[in-house]
Amino acid sequence: MARTTVVLLSVLLAAAGCSHKPRVVVGSKNFTEQVVLGEIIAAQIERRLGVEVDRKLNLGGTLLAHEALKSGSIDIYPEYTGTALTAVLRQPPIKDSKAGYQKLQDEYRKWQLEWLPPLGFNDSFAMVVMADVAREQNLKTISDAVKRPWKLGVGYEFVERPDGLKGMQEAYGLKLNGEPVTMDLGLLYQALRSKKVEMAAANATDGMLAHQEFTILEDDRHYFPPYECSLVVRGQILQQFPQLKGALEELSGKISNETMRKLNAMTDIDHKAAADVAREFINTWK
Amino acid sequence: MPSYHRWTSRIKVNVPALIEFREVAYRVGGRDILRGVNLTIEDHETLVLLGRSGSGKTTLLKMINRLLEPSQGTITFQGKALSDWDPIRLRRSIGYVIQDGGLFPHHTVEQNVGLVPRLENWPVEKTRARVKELLEAVGLAASTYGARYPRQLSGGEKQRVGIARALAADPVLLLLDEPFSALDPVTRFGMQKHFAELTKSFGKTAIFVTHDIREALMLGTRIAVLKDGRIELLVSPKEFAKADTPEAMAFLGTLEGGAHAGV
Amino acid sequence: MRASEVFEVTMEHLLLVGISVAVALAIATPLAILLLTRARLRRWTLAAVNVIQTIPSLALFGLLLPIPLIGGVGKQTAIIALVLYALLPIVRNIVVGILGVDAGVRESAVAMGMTASQVLWQVEVPLAIPTILAGVRIATVATIGTATIAAAIGGGGLGTFVFRGIASANMTTVLAGAIPAALLAIIADEVLEWLERRLSY
Repeated sequence: MARTTVVLLSVLLAAAGCSHKPRVVVGSKNFTEQVVLGEIIAAQIERRLGVEVDRKLNLGGTLLAHEALKSGSIDIYPEYTGTALTAVLRQPPIKDSKAGYQKLQDEYRKWQLEWLPPLGFNDSFAMVVMADVAREQNLKTISDAVKRPWKLGVGYEFVERPDGLKGMQEAYGLKLNGEPVTMDLGLLYQALRSKKVEMAAANATDGMLAHQEFTILEDDRHYFPPYECSLVVRGQILQQFPQLKGALEELSGKISNETMRKLNAMTDIDHKAAADVAREFINTWK
Repeated sequence: MPSYHRWTSRIKVNVPALIEFREVAYRVGGRDILRGVNLTIEDHETLVLLGRSGSGKTTLLKMINRLLEPSQGTITFQGKALSDWDPIRLRRSIGYVIQDGGLFPHHTVEQNVGLVPRLENWPVEKTRARVKELLEAVGLAASTYGARYPRQLSGGEKQRVGIARALAADPVLLLLDEPFSALDPVTRFGMQKHFAELTKSFGKTAIFVTHDIREALMLGTRIAVLKDGRIELLVSPKEFAKADTPEAMAFLGTLEGGAHAGV
Repeated sequence: MRASEVFEVTMEHLLLVGISVAVALAIATPLAILLLTRARLRRWTLAAVNVIQTIPSLALFGLLLPIPLIGGVGKQTAIIALVLYALLPIVRNIVVGILGVDAGVRESAVAMGMTASQVLWQVEVPLAIPTILAGVRIATVATIGTATIAAAIGGGGLGTFVFRGIASANMTTVLAGAIPAALLAIIADEVLEWLERRLSY
């Protein structure tokens, strides 16, 4: 009786373990743009390859996503060149986008990870203020802003990252009014509107920036490196699915800053589901 | 209202009974706990309400200080209908003692006994003196027991404090609901004797609920036997020995040697 | 990350917790007393507060965000959510504590001619204090934990380190948030439990 039970259980467990149909796991970080991109990747794979796609979106941060990729928990996720260089590789930022990209390809190959050609947009950190404040105080660049202290709103990464707050303060001498207020990235614009913060370390392709309410202060000293968005993929999955590379490279160059901002706005402002926004987008070309 | 003529130092006065029950009934949850009770209670007597569990004796007692209200009938206290009395004033003139004492666990013995005097805004010194007097009267040295908490007392000691508390503001009447039932026989006997002496020396009227025939015979000036919500018999202890009503006889039968009231 | 930063943020966290528990207590006390004599209202209120408890904390924060006046990014939204969470253990324990006072003691108090208000404040509440404190203790320890979520909506507190640490895969940062939070919870639990025992009769 006991023996039979053990055998049965083992068979069941083994079956559960091997019930894997071939599949691709798509990951993303936890802000709107990442989730939309994740859905776009997943939808593209589904229509071109017809394989099952598991979505592990909304992972809690850059390093978390990176670890997930390295360990094989996810197979693909969208990353930004500047972020990868400074936050992941902990190297000094590289202003030349080609050189930076080359470095990333070389370093990541050591982990059997591949950088696909850029999607076409540069989602840099953007220092944002309310448009009327910019008008009143005549602010066009970050240098214009350093004449007074600012109450700063940040996401979870800006303070910790080497290409974040510290470097920016060194480059510009920006003064802060109290500690930066940390919050989920999605809340920064709300915080600006309600005057809970005066300046936000947001992202250049945020949907909310489609509104005329907000102004991006120009990075006149070119402190921020390029943050070109590409897909980082596990080499193994590219081998497992020979058509995968082609399908993914179709996306390269198809998403400009304008396009990304528009897609983000559809999700953040029009409150459309990211999956729907993604599907509509990939259907704009066959 | 019926009056009772008495001789008090050669002056004849008409004194109304302290408490009078007229056709009092109590009904709850579809059950009749008390049916048509008529009863008169006089000053300075100790009336024992004797009965089994469920006979209605505690209910009857609780109507006197308006812890319960009758469903029917009227009760008067000192000549005034209970419903006309302010319940607070009424209760402060009536001492109430229950099994286990009901002492406040968070107050000392001194604070417990002095409760009603304090509620009545007695001057501090008067309260303190009264508490001392009463503790000594129940056989507890104030210096030793005054600062103790109820959890530090034995069952008998708690009951004595309970009685002292009930007497503190010099109430007209004492109500006692099986106060000694939870005590061991030796302590109980001591308390019963003590109680008899106390009520006599303080000249109190008391209504005493019990299911113990010996206690009834020992303490009561009159015994009311209750059965199923009615008063079956109301006699003095001496006459009780010759009782011929069923419930009374049942109680008598529990005494040693049968119908023999040995006190 | 310097020790002074950890200290500042811990103080911020304590402020969130302290204000929330204090406000919850201030609301719960008259509410509970109101419920003592109204059985039907009591059932409905306790049921409602129970439902609030079942809402996952982050969700409650999220639900409050868009509400005008009380919502929005920042501490006040966090505090409102934390107050709502702290209500149940406190209200329930005040009610249970007072109703649970020994029936004989309550009867004696009434029988000796104490007014309803005197019975409540001189007898029932003092005797219910240990139970009430237990409710405050449960609420405080829970609030210390839940307050870490406040960081997601700009409320500050030790959660800031936890979220930042996760995002940057920096275990030290995570621990800088998690350990003080755990210590606060343990200390609060011990202190309040000691107080409970001191005030028991």
